[in-house]
Amino acid sequence: MAKIVILGAGISGHVAASHLRRKLSKQHEVVVVSPNSNYQWIPSNIWVGIGRMKAEQILFPLEPLYKKKNIGFKQAKAVSFHPEGDKEVTKPYVMVEYVKGEDKNTFEKVTYDFLINATGPKLAFDMTEGLEPGKNKAYSVCTYGHAEHAWHGLKELIEEVKKGKKAKILIGTGHAKSTCQGAAFEYILNVEQELRRHDVREMVEITWIANEYQLGDFGMDGMLLSYGSNIMRSNEMIEMIFEDRGINWIIGAAVNKIEDGLAHYETLDGEYKTETYDFAMLIPAFSGHGFKAYDKEDKDITEKLFKGFMIVDADYTPRPYEEWTVQDWPETYQNPSYKNIFAPGIAFAPPHAISKPRVSKNGTSISPAPPRTGMPSGITAKLVAENIVDIINGKKTLNHKGSMGNMGAACIASAGFGMTKGSGVSITTYPIVPDYVKYPDTQGRKLGKTFGEIGLAGHWLKLTLHYAFIYKAKMKPFWWLIPE
Amino acid sequence: MTQRISKTKRFIMMNPIIQFFKYIYLSIKILIVVAGGHGGTRKKV
Repeated sequence: MAKIVILGAGISGHVAASHLRRKLSKQHEVVVVSPNSNYQWIPSNIWVGIGRMKAEQILFPLEPLYKKKNIGFKQAKAVSFHPEGDKEVTKPYVMVEYVKGEDKNTFEKVTYDFLINATGPKLAFDMTEGLEPGKNKAYSVCTYGHAEHAWHGLKELIEEVKKGKKAKILIGTGHAKSTCQGAAFEYILNVEQELRRHDVREMVEITWIANEYQLGDFGMDGMLLSYGSNIMRSNEMIEMIFEDRGINWIIGAAVNKIEDGLAHYETLDGEYKTETYDFAMLIPAFSGHGFKAYDKEDKDITEKLFKGFMIVDADYTPRPYEEWTVQDWPETYQNPSYKNIFAPGIAFAPPHAISKPRVSKNGTSISPAPPRTGMPSGITAKLVAENIVDIINGKKTLNHKGSMGNMGAACIASAGFGMTKGSGVSITTYPIVPDYVKYPDTQGRKLGKTFGEIGLAGHWLKLTLHYAFIYKAKMKPFWWLIPE
Repeated sequence: MTQRISKTKRFIMMNPIIQFFKYIYLSIKILIVVAGGHGGTRKKV
Protein backbone atom coordinates (compact mmCIF):
# COMPACT_ATOMS: atom_id res chain seq x y z
CA MET A 1 0.00 0.00 0.00
CA ALA A 2 1.58 3.26 -1.12
CA LYS A 3 0.69 6.87 -0.54
CA ILE A 4 1.51 9.32 -3.30
CA VAL A 5 1.28 13.01 -2.51
CA ILE A 6 1.11 15.52 -5.34
CA LEU A 7 1.82 19.16 -4.66
CA GLY A 8 -0.06 21.36 -7.13
CA ALA A 9 -3.15 20.84 -9.25
CA GLY A 10 -2.16 22.62 -12.43
CA ILE A 11 -1.67 20.80 -15.71
CA SER A 12 1.23 18.75 -14.37
CA GLY A 13 -0.16 17.88 -10.94
CA HIS A 14 -3.61 17.07 -12.25
CA VAL A 15 -2.29 14.88 -15.08
CA ALA A 16 -0.12 12.95 -12.60
CA ALA A 17 -3.02 12.50 -10.16
CA SER A 18 -5.41 11.33 -12.92
CA HIS A 19 -3.02 8.75 -14.35
CA LEU A 20 -1.98 7.46 -10.92
CA ARG A 21 -5.59 7.03 -9.88
CA ARG A 22 -6.45 5.25 -13.10
CA LYS A 23 -3.51 2.85 -12.92
CA LEU A 24 -3.33 2.11 -9.20
CA SER A 25 -5.80 0.00 -7.27
CA LYS A 26 -7.85 1.60 -4.49
CA GLN A 27 -5.58 0.24 -1.76
CA HIS A 28 -3.05 2.90 -2.83
CA GLU A 29 -3.70 6.47 -1.76
CA VAL A 30 -3.40 9.46 -4.10
CA VAL A 31 -3.54 12.87 -2.40
CA VAL A 32 -3.40 16.28 -4.09
CA VAL A 33 -2.35 19.32 -2.08
CA SER A 34 -3.09 22.65 -3.76
CA PRO A 35 -3.94 26.14 -2.53
CA ASN A 36 -6.27 26.53 -5.55
CA SER A 37 -9.75 25.07 -5.38
CA ASN A 38 -10.21 25.16 -9.16
CA TYR A 39 -8.52 23.53 -12.11
CA GLN A 40 -7.93 26.09 -14.85
CA TRP A 41 -7.07 25.50 -18.49
CA ILE A 42 -4.41 28.21 -18.62
CA PRO A 43 -3.99 28.43 -22.44
CA SER A 44 -7.52 29.87 -22.71
CA ASN A 45 -6.77 32.73 -20.30
CA ILE A 46 -5.99 34.76 -23.40
CA TRP A 47 -9.64 34.69 -24.43
CA VAL A 48 -10.78 35.66 -20.94
CA GLY A 49 -8.39 38.62 -21.21
CA ILE A 50 -10.22 39.92 -24.29
CA GLY A 51 -13.70 39.23 -22.96
CA ARG A 52 -14.51 36.45 -25.45
CA MET A 53 -14.71 33.77 -22.77
CA LYS A 54 -15.87 33.85 -19.18
CA ALA A 55 -13.57 32.50 -16.47
CA GLU A 56 -16.23 29.87 -15.69
CA GLN A 57 -15.67 28.38 -19.15
CA ILE A 58 -12.04 27.59 -18.48
CA LEU A 59 -12.21 26.25 -14.92
CA PHE A 60 -14.00 23.73 -12.75
CA PRO A 61 -13.85 22.93 -9.02
CA LEU A 62 -11.45 20.13 -8.13
CA GLU A 63 -12.89 18.82 -4.89
CA PRO A 64 -16.12 17.22 -6.26
CA LEU A 65 -14.16 15.53 -9.07
CA TYR A 66 -11.49 14.23 -6.71
CA LYS A 67 -14.13 12.98 -4.28
CA LYS A 68 -15.86 11.09 -7.09
CA LYS A 69 -12.58 9.62 -8.35
CA ASN A 70 -11.25 8.69 -4.90
CA ILE A 71 -8.39 11.19 -4.97
CA GLY A 72 -7.68 12.94 -1.68
CA PHE A 73 -7.63 16.73 -1.75
CA LYS A 74 -6.24 19.23 0.73
CA GLN A 75 -6.66 22.92 -0.05
CA ALA A 76 -3.35 23.89 1.40
CA LYS A 77 0.06 25.16 0.36
CA ALA A 78 3.38 23.41 0.84
CA VAL A 79 5.62 25.12 3.38
CA SER A 80 8.66 22.88 3.87
CA PHE A 81 10.02 19.50 2.80
CA HIS A 82 11.15 16.80 5.27
CA PRO A 83 12.29 13.89 3.06
CA GLU A 84 13.66 11.92 6.05
CA GLY A 85 10.87 12.75 8.47
CA ASP A 86 11.93 14.17 11.83
CA LYS A 87 12.47 13.04 15.43
CA GLU A 88 8.76 12.42 15.89
CA VAL A 89 7.64 11.27 12.43
CA THR A 90 9.70 8.50 10.86
CA LYS A 91 8.13 8.74 7.40
CA PRO A 92 9.04 11.49 4.96
CA TYR A 93 6.55 14.32 4.95
CA VAL A 94 5.69 17.77 3.63
CA MET A 95 4.57 20.47 6.01
CA VAL A 96 1.47 22.10 4.55
CA GLU A 97 -0.61 25.06 5.65
CA TYR A 98 -4.34 25.08 4.98
CA VAL A 99 -5.58 28.16 3.17
CA LYS A 100 -9.35 27.78 3.48
CA GLY A 101 -12.13 26.51 5.70
CA GLU A 102 -12.10 25.65 9.40
CA ASP A 103 -8.48 24.54 9.23
CA LYS A 104 -7.25 27.80 7.68
CA ASN A 105 -3.77 28.77 8.89
CA THR A 106 -3.26 25.41 10.59
CA PHE A 107 -0.36 23.16 9.67
CA GLU A 108 -0.24 19.44 8.95
CA LYS A 109 2.58 16.99 8.34
CA VAL A 110 1.46 15.13 5.22
CA THR A 111 3.45 11.90 5.03
CA TYR A 112 4.18 10.14 1.75
CA ASP A 113 5.85 7.19 0.09
CA PHE A 114 6.24 9.11 -3.16
CA LEU A 115 6.12 12.86 -3.64
CA ILE A 116 5.43 14.68 -6.89
CA ASN A 117 6.32 18.34 -6.73
CA ALA A 118 4.17 19.98 -9.39
CA THR A 119 4.04 23.41 -7.82
CA GLY A 120 4.92 25.21 -11.06
CA PRO A 121 6.42 28.67 -10.90
CA LYS A 122 5.89 31.56 -8.56
CA LEU A 123 4.67 34.55 -10.55
CA ALA A 124 7.39 36.90 -9.33
CA PHE A 125 5.74 40.28 -9.93
CA ASP A 126 7.79 41.62 -7.02
CA MET A 127 10.97 41.26 -9.09
CA THR A 128 9.89 44.29 -11.16
CA GLU A 129 9.21 47.47 -9.22
CA GLY A 130 5.61 48.63 -9.63
CA LEU A 131 4.51 45.55 -11.61
CA GLU A 132 1.40 44.30 -9.89
CA PRO A 133 -1.64 43.04 -11.83
CA GLY A 134 -4.10 45.88 -12.27
CA LYS A 135 -1.88 48.50 -10.64
CA ASN A 136 -0.47 51.30 -12.80
CA LYS A 137 -2.70 50.19 -15.73
CA ALA A 138 -0.41 47.18 -16.22
CA TYR A 139 -2.15 43.81 -16.21
CA SER A 140 -1.41 40.09 -16.44
CA VAL A 141 -3.16 37.09 -18.02
CA CYS A 142 -1.25 34.48 -16.01
CA THR A 143 -4.34 33.36 -14.05
CA TYR A 144 -8.04 33.52 -14.89
CA GLY A 145 -8.46 36.17 -12.18
CA HIS A 146 -5.71 38.29 -13.71
CA ALA A 147 -7.19 37.77 -17.17
CA GLU A 148 -10.65 38.91 -16.05
CA HIS A 149 -9.06 41.97 -14.51
CA ALA A 150 -7.14 42.66 -17.73
CA TRP A 151 -10.37 42.49 -19.74
CA HIS A 152 -11.98 45.11 -17.48
CA GLY A 153 -9.00 47.39 -18.06
CA LEU A 154 -9.05 46.84 -21.81
CA LYS A 155 -12.80 47.32 -22.01
CA GLU A 156 -12.57 50.67 -20.24
CA LEU A 157 -9.85 51.75 -22.65
CA ILE A 158 -11.90 50.71 -25.69
CA GLU A 159 -14.81 52.82 -24.37
CA GLU A 160 -12.51 55.82 -23.98
CA VAL A 161 -11.08 55.33 -27.48
CA LYS A 162 -14.60 55.18 -28.89
CA LYS A 163 -15.12 58.64 -27.42
CA GLY A 164 -12.10 59.92 -29.36
CA LYS A 165 -9.08 59.25 -27.16
CA LYS A 166 -5.88 58.12 -28.87
CA ALA A 167 -4.19 55.36 -26.92
CA LYS A 168 -1.03 53.28 -26.62
CA ILE A 169 -0.96 49.62 -25.69
CA LEU A 170 2.16 47.84 -24.53
CA ILE A 171 2.32 44.04 -24.36
CA GLY A 172 5.23 41.69 -23.73
CA THR A 173 7.56 40.74 -20.90
CA GLY A 174 7.90 42.64 -17.64
CA HIS A 175 11.35 41.50 -16.56
CA ALA A 176 14.82 40.89 -18.03
CA LYS A 177 14.49 37.12 -17.43
CA SER A 178 10.78 36.55 -18.10
CA THR A 179 9.68 33.55 -20.09
CA CYS A 180 6.32 32.59 -21.61
CA GLN A 181 6.64 35.06 -24.49
CA GLY A 182 4.10 32.89 -26.31
CA ALA A 183 1.26 33.98 -24.02
CA ALA A 184 2.09 37.64 -24.56
CA PHE A 185 2.36 37.01 -28.30
CA GLU A 186 -1.12 35.50 -28.34
CA TYR A 187 -2.51 38.33 -26.29
CA ILE A 188 -1.11 41.10 -28.45
CA LEU A 189 -2.61 39.55 -31.61
CA ASN A 190 -5.97 38.99 -29.92
CA VAL A 191 -6.07 42.54 -28.57
CA GLU A 192 -5.21 43.86 -32.04
CA GLN A 193 -8.07 41.88 -33.57
CA GLU A 194 -10.51 42.99 -30.86
CA LEU A 195 -9.63 46.64 -31.54
CA ARG A 196 -10.45 46.05 -35.20
CA ARG A 197 -13.71 44.38 -34.23
CA HIS A 198 -14.62 47.42 -32.17
CA ASP A 199 -13.61 49.63 -35.10
CA VAL A 200 -11.04 51.58 -33.08
CA ARG A 201 -7.80 50.06 -34.38
CA GLU A 202 -6.66 53.24 -36.13
CA MET A 203 -6.79 55.15 -32.83
CA VAL A 204 -4.47 52.79 -30.98
CA GLU A 205 -0.72 52.32 -31.24
CA ILE A 206 0.28 48.80 -30.24
CA THR A 207 3.84 47.93 -29.20
CA TRP A 208 5.49 44.63 -28.36
CA ILE A 209 8.22 44.86 -25.72
CA ALA A 210 10.30 41.80 -24.86
CA ASN A 211 13.59 40.54 -23.51
CA GLU A 212 14.15 38.49 -26.67
CA TYR A 213 17.20 39.26 -28.81
CA GLN A 214 15.10 38.56 -31.89
CA LEU A 215 11.37 38.32 -32.44
CA GLY A 216 10.13 34.73 -32.30
CA ASP A 217 12.82 33.58 -29.88
CA PHE A 218 10.18 32.33 -27.40
CA GLY A 219 12.95 31.38 -24.95
CA MET A 220 13.92 28.56 -27.33
CA ASP A 221 16.55 30.42 -29.32
CA GLY A 222 14.01 30.78 -32.12
CA MET A 223 13.75 28.08 -34.75
CA LEU A 224 14.13 27.33 -38.39
CA LEU A 225 10.77 26.13 -39.62
CA SER A 226 8.98 25.09 -42.74
CA TYR A 227 6.21 27.48 -43.71
CA GLY A 228 4.28 26.27 -46.76
CA SER A 229 6.89 25.52 -49.38
CA ASN A 230 9.39 27.89 -47.77
CA ILE A 231 11.90 27.49 -44.96
CA MET A 232 12.12 30.54 -42.75
CA ARG A 233 13.34 31.60 -39.35
CA SER A 234 10.77 32.18 -36.62
CA ASN A 235 11.88 35.81 -36.31
CA GLU A 236 11.04 36.36 -39.99
CA MET A 237 7.64 34.80 -39.52
CA ILE A 238 6.76 36.86 -36.45
CA GLU A 239 8.14 40.02 -38.10
CA MET A 240 5.86 39.36 -41.06
CA ILE A 241 2.83 38.98 -38.76
CA PHE A 242 3.63 42.08 -36.71
CA GLU A 243 4.21 44.25 -39.77
CA ASP A 244 1.03 42.96 -41.37
CA ARG A 245 -0.91 43.81 -38.19
CA GLY A 246 0.81 47.20 -37.74
CA ILE A 247 2.41 46.25 -34.43
CA ASN A 248 5.65 47.99 -33.41
CA TRP A 249 8.30 46.14 -31.46
CA ILE A 250 11.04 46.79 -28.94
CA ILE A 251 13.32 43.80 -28.31
CA GLY A 252 16.31 43.12 -26.07
CA ALA A 253 14.47 45.16 -23.43
CA ALA A 254 14.59 44.54 -19.70
CA VAL A 255 11.59 46.20 -18.12
CA ASN A 256 12.74 47.18 -14.64
CA LYS A 257 10.16 49.63 -13.31
CA ILE A 258 6.49 50.30 -13.91
CA GLU A 259 4.80 53.56 -13.02
CA ASP A 260 1.29 54.71 -13.87
CA GLY A 261 1.42 54.74 -17.68
CA LEU A 262 5.21 54.51 -17.82
CA ALA A 263 7.39 51.47 -18.44
CA HIS A 264 11.08 51.95 -17.73
CA TYR A 265 13.49 49.57 -19.41
CA GLU A 266 17.12 48.93 -20.21
CA THR A 267 18.28 47.78 -23.63
CA LEU A 268 21.10 45.44 -24.59
CA ASP A 269 22.95 48.55 -25.79
CA GLY A 270 22.96 49.74 -22.19
CA GLU A 271 20.51 52.60 -22.76
CA TYR A 272 17.81 53.41 -20.21
CA LYS A 273 14.52 54.29 -21.87
CA THR A 274 10.87 54.86 -21.05
CA GLU A 275 7.74 53.90 -22.96
CA THR A 276 4.34 55.41 -22.24
CA TYR A 277 1.13 53.37 -22.32
CA ASP A 278 -2.57 53.50 -21.55
CA PHE A 279 -2.90 49.75 -21.11
CA ALA A 280 -0.17 47.17 -20.64
CA MET A 281 0.01 43.41 -20.21
CA LEU A 282 3.43 42.28 -19.08
CA ILE A 283 4.45 38.74 -18.17
CA PRO A 284 6.42 38.71 -14.89
CA ALA A 285 9.55 36.72 -14.12
CA PHE A 286 8.94 33.17 -12.93
CA SER A 287 10.80 31.93 -9.88
CA GLY A 288 10.87 29.01 -7.49
CA HIS A 289 8.67 29.17 -4.40
CA GLY A 290 11.55 29.49 -1.97
CA PHE A 291 10.79 26.19 -0.22
CA LYS A 292 13.09 24.98 2.53
CA ALA A 293 14.04 21.36 3.20
CA TYR A 294 15.24 19.73 6.44
CA ASP A 295 16.68 16.34 7.36
CA LYS A 296 15.56 14.23 10.34
CA GLU A 297 17.86 16.20 12.63
CA ASP A 298 16.17 19.40 11.44
CA LYS A 299 19.31 20.47 9.60
CA ASP A 300 18.78 22.63 6.50
CA ILE A 301 19.26 20.49 3.36
CA THR A 302 17.58 22.86 0.91
CA GLU A 303 20.56 22.65 -1.48
CA LYS A 304 19.90 18.90 -1.91
CA LEU A 305 16.41 19.56 -3.20
CA PHE A 306 16.34 23.02 -4.68
CA LYS A 307 18.27 25.22 -6.99
CA GLY A 308 15.55 27.85 -7.25
CA PHE A 309 13.31 25.14 -8.70
CA MET A 310 13.66 21.46 -7.75
CA ILE A 311 16.84 19.54 -8.57
CA VAL A 312 16.22 16.51 -10.80
CA ASP A 313 18.29 14.14 -12.96
CA ALA A 314 19.81 16.94 -15.06
CA ASP A 315 23.48 17.80 -15.43
CA TYR A 316 23.84 21.09 -13.58
CA THR A 317 27.60 21.41 -14.06
CA PRO A 318 28.23 25.10 -14.87
CA ARG A 319 29.51 25.42 -18.45
CA PRO A 320 29.67 28.12 -21.10
CA TYR A 321 26.55 28.25 -23.27
CA GLU A 322 28.41 26.88 -26.30
CA GLU A 323 29.38 23.73 -24.40
CA TRP A 324 26.00 22.57 -23.15
CA THR A 325 24.45 19.52 -24.74
CA VAL A 326 20.96 18.18 -25.07
CA GLN A 327 22.00 15.30 -22.77
CA ASP A 328 22.14 17.78 -19.88
CA TRP A 329 18.34 17.86 -19.79
CA PRO A 330 16.48 15.56 -17.37
CA GLU A 331 14.81 12.32 -18.48
CA THR A 332 12.93 11.03 -15.44
CA TYR A 333 12.52 14.17 -13.25
CA GLN A 334 13.67 12.24 -10.19
CA ASN A 335 15.56 13.99 -7.43
CA PRO A 336 19.04 12.40 -7.22
CA SER A 337 19.24 12.63 -3.41
CA TYR A 338 15.76 11.38 -2.59
CA LYS A 339 14.61 8.87 -5.18
CA ASN A 340 10.97 8.99 -4.12
CA ILE A 341 10.66 12.68 -5.04
CA PHE A 342 9.89 13.82 -8.59
CA ALA A 343 9.37 17.24 -10.17
CA PRO A 344 7.71 17.29 -13.61
CA GLY A 345 6.35 20.29 -15.49
CA ILE A 346 7.64 23.72 -14.53
CA ALA A 347 8.74 22.66 -11.03
CA PHE A 348 12.13 21.27 -12.06
CA ALA A 349 15.26 23.38 -12.30
CA PRO A 350 16.40 23.58 -15.94
CA PRO A 351 20.12 22.83 -16.38
CA HIS A 352 20.72 25.91 -18.50
CA ALA A 353 19.14 28.45 -20.77
CA ILE A 354 17.99 27.42 -24.25
CA SER A 355 18.08 30.94 -25.61
CA LYS A 356 21.60 32.33 -25.76
CA PRO A 357 22.28 34.37 -22.60
CA ARG A 358 23.00 38.02 -23.35
CA VAL A 359 24.25 40.79 -21.12
CA SER A 360 23.72 44.53 -21.58
CA LYS A 361 26.62 46.97 -21.61
CA ASN A 362 25.75 47.68 -17.97
CA GLY A 363 26.08 44.01 -17.03
CA THR A 364 22.35 43.26 -16.83
CA SER A 365 21.49 39.77 -18.02
CA ILE A 366 18.71 40.18 -20.61
CA SER A 367 17.44 36.97 -22.17
CA PRO A 368 14.40 34.73 -21.83
CA ALA A 369 14.40 31.85 -19.36
CA PRO A 370 13.59 28.39 -20.78
CA PRO A 371 9.86 27.90 -21.39
CA ARG A 372 8.03 24.75 -20.27
CA THR A 373 4.54 24.92 -21.61
CA GLY A 374 1.44 22.80 -21.07
CA MET A 375 2.36 19.99 -23.39
CA PRO A 376 5.77 19.05 -21.89
CA SER A 377 4.23 19.57 -18.44
CA GLY A 378 1.59 16.97 -19.22
CA ILE A 379 4.01 14.53 -20.86
CA THR A 380 6.56 14.71 -18.04
CA ALA A 381 3.82 14.35 -15.38
CA LYS A 382 2.44 11.26 -17.11
CA LEU A 383 5.84 9.57 -17.34
CA VAL A 384 6.54 10.32 -13.67
CA ALA A 385 3.19 8.72 -12.77
CA GLU A 386 4.01 5.69 -14.92
CA ASN A 387 7.43 5.27 -13.30
CA ILE A 388 5.91 5.45 -9.81
CA VAL A 389 3.34 2.81 -10.79
CA ASP A 390 6.20 0.62 -12.07
CA ILE A 391 8.15 1.00 -8.82
CA ILE A 392 5.06 0.12 -6.78
CA ASN A 393 4.64 -2.94 -8.98
CA GLY A 394 8.20 -4.04 -8.25
CA LYS A 395 10.27 -2.70 -11.12
CA LYS A 396 13.75 -1.56 -10.16
CA THR A 397 14.50 0.84 -13.03
CA LEU A 398 12.72 3.87 -14.41
CA ASN A 399 11.75 2.84 -17.91
CA HIS A 400 9.64 5.85 -18.87
CA LYS A 401 11.80 8.70 -20.07
CA GLY A 402 11.06 11.99 -21.72
CA SER A 403 13.79 14.52 -22.25
CA MET A 404 12.79 17.86 -23.72
CA GLY A 405 15.62 17.14 -26.14
CA ASN A 406 13.65 14.17 -27.46
CA MET A 407 10.13 15.49 -27.32
CA GLY A 408 8.01 17.48 -29.73
CA ALA A 409 5.74 20.34 -28.76
CA ALA A 410 2.95 22.19 -30.47
CA CYS A 411 2.16 25.81 -29.79
CA ILE A 412 -1.21 26.78 -31.19
CA ALA A 413 -1.08 30.52 -30.65
CA SER A 414 -4.39 32.25 -30.98
CA ALA A 415 -4.18 35.28 -33.25
CA GLY A 416 -7.80 36.32 -32.94
CA PHE A 417 -11.10 34.85 -31.74
CA GLY A 418 -14.04 33.97 -33.99
CA MET A 419 -15.41 30.98 -35.89
CA THR A 420 -15.11 32.80 -39.23
CA LYS A 421 -12.88 35.79 -38.42
CA GLY A 422 -10.51 34.09 -36.00
CA SER A 423 -6.95 33.10 -36.69
CA GLY A 424 -4.17 31.10 -35.14
CA VAL A 425 -0.45 30.63 -35.59
CA SER A 426 0.23 26.91 -35.32
CA ILE A 427 3.86 26.12 -34.63
CA THR A 428 5.31 22.73 -33.82
CA THR A 429 8.89 22.13 -32.86
CA TYR A 430 10.92 18.95 -32.52
CA PRO A 431 12.82 18.67 -30.31
CA ILE A 432 11.97 21.43 -27.83
CA VAL A 433 15.59 21.73 -26.72
CA PRO A 434 17.65 21.94 -29.92
CA ASP A 435 19.95 19.00 -30.62
CA TYR A 436 22.79 20.57 -32.59
CA VAL A 437 24.60 17.23 -32.98
CA LYS A 438 21.66 15.36 -34.46
CA TYR A 439 20.37 18.24 -36.58
CA PRO A 440 23.45 20.40 -37.27
CA ASP A 441 22.18 22.05 -40.46
CA THR A 442 18.73 23.05 -39.27
CA GLN A 443 19.53 24.87 -36.02
CA GLY A 444 19.13 21.75 -33.90
CA ARG A 445 15.63 20.84 -35.03
CA LYS A 446 14.03 18.40 -37.44
CA LEU A 447 12.49 20.45 -40.24
CA GLY A 448 9.61 18.12 -41.16
CA LYS A 449 8.39 18.24 -37.57
CA THR A 450 9.15 21.94 -37.03
CA PHE A 451 6.68 23.93 -39.02
CA GLY A 452 4.43 26.98 -38.87
CA GLU A 453 0.99 27.72 -40.31
CA ILE A 454 -1.19 30.80 -40.06
CA GLY A 455 -4.94 30.93 -40.58
CA LEU A 456 -8.47 30.24 -39.45
CA ALA A 457 -7.73 26.53 -38.96
CA GLY A 458 -5.35 27.54 -36.16
CA HIS A 459 -8.22 29.13 -34.24
CA TRP A 460 -10.40 26.05 -34.68
CA LEU A 461 -7.51 23.90 -33.49
CA LYS A 462 -6.99 25.98 -30.37
CA LEU A 463 -10.72 25.86 -29.66
CA THR A 464 -10.73 22.07 -30.17
CA LEU A 465 -7.83 21.75 -27.72
CA HIS A 466 -9.73 23.91 -25.21
CA TYR A 467 -12.75 21.58 -25.20
CA ALA A 468 -10.72 18.37 -25.51
CA PHE A 469 -8.40 19.14 -22.61
CA ILE A 470 -11.17 20.32 -20.30
CA TYR A 471 -13.01 17.07 -21.12
CA LYS A 472 -9.82 15.16 -20.35
CA ALA A 473 -9.18 17.08 -17.12
CA LYS A 474 -12.72 16.33 -15.95
CA MET A 475 -11.80 12.64 -16.36
CA LYS A 476 -14.85 11.92 -18.47
CA PRO A 477 -15.21 8.54 -20.24
CA PHE A 478 -12.08 7.50 -22.18
CA TRP A 479 -10.27 10.70 -21.16
CA TRP A 480 -6.95 8.87 -21.26
CA LEU A 481 -7.23 8.37 -25.03
CA ILE A 482 -6.55 12.07 -25.51
CA PRO A 483 -2.75 12.50 -25.63
CA GLU A 484 -1.04 14.97 -23.35
CA MET B 1 0.63 48.93 -41.50
CA THR B 2 2.70 47.23 -44.15
CA GLN B 3 0.97 44.59 -46.21
CA ARG B 4 3.25 41.61 -45.74
CA ILE B 5 0.70 38.92 -46.46
CA SER B 6 -0.59 38.95 -50.04
CA LYS B 7 -4.32 39.10 -50.79
CA THR B 8 -4.21 35.58 -52.26
CA LYS B 9 -2.47 34.22 -49.18
CA ARG B 10 -4.91 36.03 -46.90
CA PHE B 11 -7.83 34.56 -48.88
CA ILE B 12 -6.40 31.07 -48.35
CA MET B 13 -5.81 31.78 -44.66
CA MET B 14 -9.39 32.86 -44.04
CA ASN B 15 -11.41 30.74 -46.49
CA PRO B 16 -13.47 28.33 -44.33
CA ILE B 17 -13.56 25.55 -46.92
CA ILE B 18 -9.82 25.56 -47.56
CA GLN B 19 -9.20 25.97 -43.85
CA PHE B 20 -11.43 23.01 -43.02
CA PHE B 21 -9.10 20.74 -44.96
CA LYS B 22 -6.13 22.53 -43.43
CA TYR B 23 -7.64 21.85 -39.99
CA ILE B 24 -7.81 18.11 -40.69
CA TYR B 25 -4.28 18.15 -42.11
CA LEU B 26 -2.85 20.14 -39.18
CA SER B 27 -4.63 17.98 -36.59
CA ILE B 28 -3.03 14.85 -38.02
CA LYS B 29 0.37 16.47 -38.47
CA ILE B 30 0.40 17.87 -34.93
CA LEU B 31 -0.74 14.53 -33.54
CA ILE B 32 2.19 12.86 -35.29
CA VAL B 33 4.66 15.34 -33.76
CA VAL B 34 3.15 15.26 -30.30
CA ALA B 35 2.02 11.67 -29.93
CA GLY B 36 4.93 10.44 -32.00
CA GLY B 37 6.72 9.41 -28.85
CA HIS B 38 9.42 10.76 -26.60
CA GLY B 39 12.34 9.31 -24.77
CA GLY B 40 15.76 9.89 -23.34
CA THR B 41 18.82 11.33 -25.03
CA ARG B 42 21.58 9.62 -23.07
CA LYS B 43 23.28 6.45 -24.19
CA LYS B 44 22.90 3.49 -21.85
CA VAL B 45 26.15 2.80 -20.02
